[in-house]
Amino acid sequence: MKVSLNWLREFIPLEKTVAEISDLLTYAGVEVEGIETTGVDINKIVVAQILASEQHPNADRLSVCRVDDGSGTPRQIVCGAKNYKVGDKVPLALPGAVLPGDFKIKVGKLRGVESEGMLCSARELAVSEESAGLFILPADSPVGAPIRELFPADTVFELEVTPNRPDLLSLRGIARELGAITGVETTPERAFETPGKSPFLIRIENPEACPWYSGRIIRGVKVGPSPEWMRKHLEASGLRPINNVVDVTNLVMLELGEPLHAFDLAQIDRGIVVRPAREGEKMKALDGRDYELTSADLLIADESKSLAIAGVMGGENSGVTEATTDILLEAALFSPRGIRRTSRRLGLSSDASYRFERGVDPAILLRASTRATALIEEIACGVAEKSIAIEGQLPLFWWEVSLRYDRCRLLMGVWISDTDIDQILTRLGLQALGNEKWSVPSSRADLTREVDLIEEVVRIYGVQNIPAKNQGFVAPVSAVDNAYDFQLRIKQRLIDAGFFESRTRSMRGEIAPVDEAFRTAGAMRVRNPLTEDQTFFRESLVPGLLEVADYNQRMGVTSIRLLETGRIFRAGQNEEKPKIALLITGDSGIADWRTPVRPVDFFDLKAAVSGILRSRTPIEFVKTQAPYLFLGAELVSDDKSLGWIGQITPDLVRRAGLKTPVFAAELDLAALQSVTDGTRRFQPLDRFPAVTRDVALIVPDALSHAVIEQTLASAKEPLLRSVHLFDVFLDPTGKKSLAYSLTYRAADRTLTQDEVNAAHQRLKTRLVENCGVSLRE
Amino acid sequence: MEETLKNLQQTALADIPDAADEAALETLRVSLVGRSGSVSLAGEQMRSVPKEQRPILGKLLNETRTLITEALAKRQAELVALKDAAAAASLDVTLPAAPQPSPGALHPITLLQDRVVQIFRRMGFALADGPDIDDEWHNFDALNTPPDHPARNDTDTYYLPDGRLLRAHTSTVQIRTMLAQLPPVQIIAPGSAYRRDEVDATHLNQFNQVEGLYVAPNVSVADLKGSVEFFLRELLGTETEVRFRPHFFPFTEPSFEVDAKLPGTNKWLELAGCGMVDPAVFEAVNARRGDNAYDPEVYTGWAFGFGLDRLTMVMTGTNDIRLLIENDIRYLAQFRQ
Repeated sequence: MKVSLNWLREFIPLEKTVAEISDLLTYAGVEVEGIETTGVDINKIVVAQILASEQHPNADRLSVCRVDDGSGTPRQIVCGAKNYKVGDKVPLALPGAVLPGDFKIKVGKLRGVESEGMLCSARELAVSEESAGLFILPADSPVGAPIRELFPADTVFELEVTPNRPDLLSLRGIARELGAITGVETTPERAFETPGKSPFLIRIENPEACPWYSGRIIRGVKVGPSPEWMRKHLEASGLRPINNVVDVTNLVMLELGEPLHAFDLAQIDRGIVVRPAREGEKMKALDGRDYELTSADLLIADESKSLAIAGVMGGENSGVTEATTDILLEAALFSPRGIRRTSRRLGLSSDASYRFERGVDPAILLRASTRATALIEEIACGVAEKSIAIEGQLPLFWWEVSLRYDRCRLLMGVWISDTDIDQILTRLGLQALGNEKWSVPSSRADLTREVDLIEEVVRIYGVQNIPAKNQGFVAPVSAVDNAYDFQLRIKQRLIDAGFFESRTRSMRGEIAPVDEAFRTAGAMRVRNPLTEDQTFFRESLVPGLLEVADYNQRMGVTSIRLLETGRIFRAGQNEEKPKIALLITGDSGIADWRTPVRPVDFFDLKAAVSGILRSRTPIEFVKTQAPYLFLGAELVSDDKSLGWIGQITPDLVRRAGLKTPVFAAELDLAALQSVTDGTRRFQPLDRFPAVTRDVALIVPDALSHAVIEQTLASAKEPLLRSVHLFDVFLDPTGKKSLAYSLTYRAADRTLTQDEVNAAHQRLKTRLVENCGVSLRE
Repeated sequence: MEETLKNLQQTALADIPDAADEAALETLRVSLVGRSGSVSLAGEQMRSVPKEQRPILGKLLNETRTLITEALAKRQAELVALKDAAAAASLDVTLPAAPQPSPGALHPITLLQDRVVQIFRRMGFALADGPDIDDEWHNFDALNTPPDHPARNDTDTYYLPDGRLLRAHTSTVQIRTMLAQLPPVQIIAPGSAYRRDEVDATHLNQFNQVEGLYVAPNVSVADLKGSVEFFLRELLGTETEVRFRPHFFPFTEPSFEVDAKLPGTNKWLELAGCGMVDPAVFEAVNARRGDNAYDPEVYTGWAFGFGLDRLTMVMTGTNDIRLLIENDIRYLAQFRQ
């Protein structure tokens, strides 16, 4: 809301600077979003009339003017502008004037000709951006008059009022608030007499949506432009002047906060009917657009047609025009919820709907109607009927709320006396009823509970005046803490191994090329997506990473290592699961002088994945299949699936736009943590030397390393301590060979050659018999 | 014979130190002490030497062999040392280090989030969380949001077909935590929140928040100020100015917005919302718990909500919020630390 300081001062005599007022409002909870100054606030600038103009003898672009500044003695001024003619009235800065930018005007010579001041452009006076030539003033401007009186300075505050404070959507309300903060008395409200009841017909079909409706008939108005002062007030508030009748309704709305509406009485058939719209009923509003209504919308109608969308906008058919002579002035109360619904559904918001949907003070309605009636009589020469037509019941103008002083002090954390609390609440317009009870005026519909009153005390006391305290106790570590630390630790390991952390979105599109393969029957969707690319919840982090990889590859990154931690979503139990995903593609790194570059492969990713595993139990890689996997393995530990690792299918990679094979893994963080966390138990250290024996095996193609490890482990050979695969090769005949070194050790003695040889022989025999391998001796 | 040996000894001891390299020394060794070298030949000639001269000549021969062998060994060591020195001298120590995997980087949001978490932990807070997909009761009703509040609209919040929603703020975790545990409560909850906004240079429809909640007997506005000021000064620098402006949120009363002025700047940054937990929130929690554990007459508390994305932009100078979701490695690499 825009508030003109000049106008505001008519409501409260505040002797404060703009900056001080801005701070007061800010600390009271009204955000000052902008401060704009208008007009001229400079001394020694007057209206001057150009009497003569001659070419400057020494400068082509300058002229020498003689001007009348109202003093009786013409002045000689050198001037560079061309846009004037003799007889024009322009602003003249006299010697001693200080223009914006600390530019002092002095008597001086310009190219040898004396100039006794300066003729000004609009921009030089900061009244507008217009800089082309002199500021030509209206012909009726009195010569010699100070410009600051013609263009009085004003400051306009742009205020952001929170939705709980509709009482601040008027000048009277802002003044009342500033009065409460500063203790300055606001100017008294005009007294008014309640008019008698008019027989004009008003019928309310829907009292819930419109509890109260009034109409005042004013006859013989002369519709025309508003007087200057009124236009200025409206313009400063950001409203466009329309005609004197409409302008009065807007002015009173700005003054008091009650939106009013004027109908052309001649267009009303018999009387006013406040009724729900019929389903599909159409209405042409004052903005010239047609609106289709539903039964949830409220109409102001007459006996034969609709006249206005209640509380939102008048109809084109019943508005005040040049031809209007008699009007019906509406002042009514509408349900905030109904107005909000209609305004939102129609996408139609007005100054009226803005106020109605936040709530209008019922105590102000008659005052607003009477004030507008008086103004219309004064400005548009109308004659109001002595009585006013009223239908419906107004809600209470006040209610009771209690406030315990001790409770207030406790919540504030500062000692404040009962008297100070009383004083604050009284200044806010509340009345003490005694016994810690207060009467709250209906302008403050937001104050219904004790805590609401305490908030008021905090606001007016000033939160800046409450000292900061440091508190005591310490919360015990939570499961979420542990999960957070675990996740960050794992991420840090991957960062050290060259991975970059991505953060992609939770929602993905229906038609994203890479998503289909990851989608399951448990896929969940958004009911009201904003954009097509965010309709489904991700079931895997990998599609997002594929997109990030593609983006980076297009940006010229050749070696891509990405990780992401985040939630995936799937219907069922544990709908949201935290995962970590890894993706690598492209080169193994940048070529350097010791290591050639090669394309990354499955084992590079396996190395990265293994690098973050610290499980208490062994992890098996079990070959697995999935629609997105070209080849892959499931990670299993302690009978738990930890996730998968693999190569993404070339088809999917192609569809993602990537040019190189992609290897990815996705692990369940909770499962990973469950096999990792926990105290490790001490194992006695071997004190006696180890003996190593190698064995080379010729193996069938399909036989995996895991089977050999498993076969050796299941032999439960007491002396065998470890198995290490040190070579994999194809011999010249094409046979696959695996070479292992086996380490033997005993806890209690040095082994003899014979013992080791016997154990080694047992294991070799077992491999031959159980796995179908032959020995390469 | 004696003459021969003496000549041999003299010549050899003169030649050996002059051997230019290991190959020359080897040739010399073979010609002197090799199988058919001069010393070996002299040994064979000993047989034809008269018996009485043998002890003297034998001693001379041994002495000659020892001296030559020692000289050879000495020269050999010298040559190796020379070669090592040459090799060391030729090493280009300015070559790049042996390649290590070049480190990646955490996302700047993660870095800021972790700083926030670490500060609150030092203040005695534990972490809490809740699901991204929540319901209207946790997101709005329990947080004292009126039934017709605009934030509930389809235009503002994402809904699922079953009527649930994507949480519009992490304040849902306040409710979930109070349902799950007894007071006192002292938690923070970092997490995603969603609003149905067009994505542009300053807006995301999915963003990152940190929620804070402190509930105990006799918590006051002074406690709120103390904690929030301490946190922001820890995060932004001890010289940071902090101010509280009264504001309105449905779930706190009184409510404030918190602005900070970073050291060396002259602009207030709007950073957080906070306030004293509204008694209606405690009552909603009690109603669902079926007890009076969070009796508003006994417990008061403060809540705090804070967005990470904008602050990441301010602190890193990132000029377009979309960089935070683009995941360009060249962007991410700037935050290695």
